[in-house]
Amino acid sequence: MGGGVLQLQGVVAGYGGGDVLQGVDLRVDLGSITCIVGPNGAGKSTVLRAVSGLLPPRKGTITLDGRAIGGLDPAGVLEHGVVQVPQHGGLFPSLSVRENVLMGAWVLRRDRSLVRRRYQRVVETLPVLGEWADRRAGNLSGGQRRLVEFARSLMVEPTVVLLDEPSLGLDPASLRQVYDLVKLLNEQGVTILLVEQNVRVGLGAATWAVVMESGRVRLAGPPREVLDNPEIADLYLGGTISRTGRV
Amino acid sequence: MSRAGAVAAERAAGGSRVPAWVRPAAVTAGVLVLALGPLAIVDNLYIQTVAILTFLLVVSSSGWNIISGFAGYVSLGQSAFIGVGAYTVGILSKHLEVSPFLLAPLGGVAAAVLAAILGLVAMRARGHAFVIITIAFLFLMQTLALNLRSITGGSAGITLPLPTWSRDLGELPFYYAMLALAVLSVALAAWVRRSKLGAGLLAIREDEGKAAAIGIRTPAYKLIGFVVSAVLIGIAGGIDGYFLTFIDPRGMFDILISVQIVLAALLGGRGTVWGPVLGAFLLQPLSEVVNNYFGTQLGARLLVFGGLLALVVVIMPSGIIPTVRNAVRRWRERGSTVPFIEQPVRLATVPAAPAANGQAEAPAEPGARAAPDEPAEPVGTAPPGESAARAPASAVRVSEADREPEPERVPILEIRGLSKRFGGLTALDGCTFSVREGTITGLIGPNGSGKTTVFNLVSGTIPGAGGEVRFSSRRIDQLRSWERPALGIGRTFQITRLFKQLTVLENVVAPLRHFSLRHLASGGTSGAEAARARELLDLVGLGSFGDRTAGTLSFGQQKLVELAQVLMLEPRLILLDEPAGGVNPSLIQHLADLIRQLNREGISFLVVEHNMPLVLELCDPVVVLAAGRTIAQGPPEAIQRDPEVLGAYLGGDGSATERLPRGPAELQEDAPAGPRGPGNPKGDAPVGRER
Repeated sequence: MGGGVLQLQGVVAGYGGGDVLQGVDLRVDLGSITCIVGPNGAGKSTVLRAVSGLLPPRKGTITLDGRAIGGLDPAGVLEHGVVQVPQHGGLFPSLSVRENVLMGAWVLRRDRSLVRRRYQRVVETLPVLGEWADRRAGNLSGGQRRLVEFARSLMVEPTVVLLDEPSLGLDPASLRQVYDLVKLLNEQGVTILLVEQNVRVGLGAATWAVVMESGRVRLAGPPREVLDNPEIADLYLGGTISRTGRV
Repeated sequence: MSRAGAVAAERAAGGSRVPAWVRPAAVTAGVLVLALGPLAIVDNLYIQTVAILTFLLVVSSSGWNIISGFAGYVSLGQSAFIGVGAYTVGILSKHLEVSPFLLAPLGGVAAAVLAAILGLVAMRARGHAFVIITIAFLFLMQTLALNLRSITGGSAGITLPLPTWSRDLGELPFYYAMLALAVLSVALAAWVRRSKLGAGLLAIREDEGKAAAIGIRTPAYKLIGFVVSAVLIGIAGGIDGYFLTFIDPRGMFDILISVQIVLAALLGGRGTVWGPVLGAFLLQPLSEVVNNYFGTQLGARLLVFGGLLALVVVIMPSGIIPTVRNAVRRWRERGSTVPFIEQPVRLATVPAAPAANGQAEAPAEPGARAAPDEPAEPVGTAPPGESAARAPASAVRVSEADREPEPERVPILEIRGLSKRFGGLTALDGCTFSVREGTITGLIGPNGSGKTTVFNLVSGTIPGAGGEVRFSSRRIDQLRSWERPALGIGRTFQITRLFKQLTVLENVVAPLRHFSLRHLASGGTSGAEAARARELLDLVGLGSFGDRTAGTLSFGQQKLVELAQVLMLEPRLILLDEPAGGVNPSLIQHLADLIRQLNREGISFLVVEHNMPLVLELCDPVVVLAAGRTIAQGPPEAIQRDPEVLGAYLGGDGSATERLPRGPAELQEDAPAGPRGPGNPKGDAPVGRER
């Protein structure tokens, strides 16, 4: 799994005036499943956007295995093997599901056989894609789109996947499917950094938990410790988690 | 002179938090300079002419800004209204012995009438199609002017009467008339921006479908906006014709004038009140300089226009004023922090609607409100529980407990045999169920089972389908989208659809249950409605976020704003599409309390949600959809034990019944536990079982 890290140091970032991230220090061990939880508006999604290059940080450094990736544009970050699955809205509605997934390998488009092989592999991992292949992406339901967005990110065979609320809009069966996939990818050595409001599921799958509040990292540790911290649980995790869902 | 005006305008619009007196003082100073300046240049006809043309550009660009900047419908035919005004005055002055100044308002009337006719046609199109129709309108007007020779003089044009005043006055009467119109058009734009009309137009620009879903009667808004945008241009066109004394089809209906109008607004900042003014003061003098320097051959001016457009698009796509404003704001707020949600939310009582609220005082249509005890069963006398049973689809099944009809509960919403196809895909296939008044009905089902499509058909967000939708026994499936909120139906969206460029408060105030002309003129974010909107924001814990731009809020916060927005409509039925999606667990319980409290106050709910503990805690009954059909409905206790539901929804493959959860505790594995007692201590949820 390698000993490298994705590291954020003193990252400040925001939209327009004001800073949403106010000095984020975060260490994501490569090979881990790291889950960020915290209240609405704490800056969790913003961390992912800063890492993926969608929102260039104003201050601070972001390094992947020692190489600086902070300030690169999304294509540059992608070249380092980091891919983000956005919270929503990433599909081309008038293209078919297959075309949308293939679009994920745009940077590899010259090597058609490689793209074909990757597509085969993605469909094997998520067989439902084969069923939907010819549908217009715009005709999929919200939850189905999430699965396609996730599948598309796999086309570049990333080393780090940034997932923004993968549980959003998913029925229990699809949710299970997505998280099974998260674990499968992780077993293959892919690092997962995810943001999740469905704390029970997110921390259940994670190997490392990060609690954010007001644009800073408040606490980081093994998920069990975070869940057992009564103050954290009461404030941000819906309170009853640690009492009923002890793992 | 013109520079002074431009500087004044820029200063007036530059900062968002300048002291309150600065803006009016700067505007007054600018107007005074423009009003007194001519006394110094009374014999310089050239500068007077440039100023007059600049003011004309201010008027037309400000007018254009109303329909294209505020409402987002880009018109490339706006200069046609200058020609229409000029021709109206020219034609009338041949027959009437009246000063053309007095005829100019009739040019405005003619422009308004034509705008209304054009609007009826063009407003059905969007985007490129709309642009092309407006260009076609411009050429149509030119063709008419060329060919209706007996009226317009054809290509020979019309000569208007010469000015009758002393030569010593030069062009000053034109100067002041046009200056007055320019001031008027800025005032009009500022007023529209602050009124309900402007709020509605901005909402249309941001998301027209959503605007209709919150009750904004979009065609009426667009039409009124288009007429308002044309009327002053028509008057200015009349004065322009008098000023030129000779008008012909080629000069008056030149598409380059339209290009200049658009460019001025883009340069200064479209969608802002002062942007077109600044743009006009920069562009018209520049155009004159280029003409003087390179001669009036078209080439040089076109090149400058093209180059300028390219520069604007590349360097500051939003225009000068928004760019400067953002830079100033960024500089002011550097290092500051963005506020965070106050939590936990303190649950206030639901604020009652203020009595003086124009929206609330309008009486509901008689008949729309069925008394709860009135058995409003439209077809026959079958109790609501049986409506599902007699539905055509054989798969529809009614759970045991639902067979007992509760006669005191009338269906507020009935869905019968609803079908909808997207291309080759069947989203709904004879879906049938009802929501009884006073209930919180859950709607669950796998992804793609048609839940959101049901919402879209009930709210009218997507058009026609087979089957019936009845609200309070009235058939609504043929009603337009914006008519349904007026009956008392509100909805939220799975992926929030706030107007991202507007503030949170503007978003919450935007919904309109009723349409009236008087209402359009009232303040967009002031008065009783704004006060109520603030109360509603407090209710969802976002009271301090009113002035933030909605697009900068996190997804979960936007969900809560959208709930407040829907409550503004004072609906009788609210459709909630995954209200807990993306919302922090510590807020979900409060959200549930809020929904329950609103329910006690008489609002019925239909809730789509995947958070099963929340559904089980909150909803009774629960309706289950699969593949576009209702497969079960009944109380939550029955639903969660129903093997078919478990197979279809909870992801069992149908054969391994022993894997299916046996009670609520196990269903809670997907989400934070609700108050239904301790969960499964072993936590053998699928995602956790590898531990």
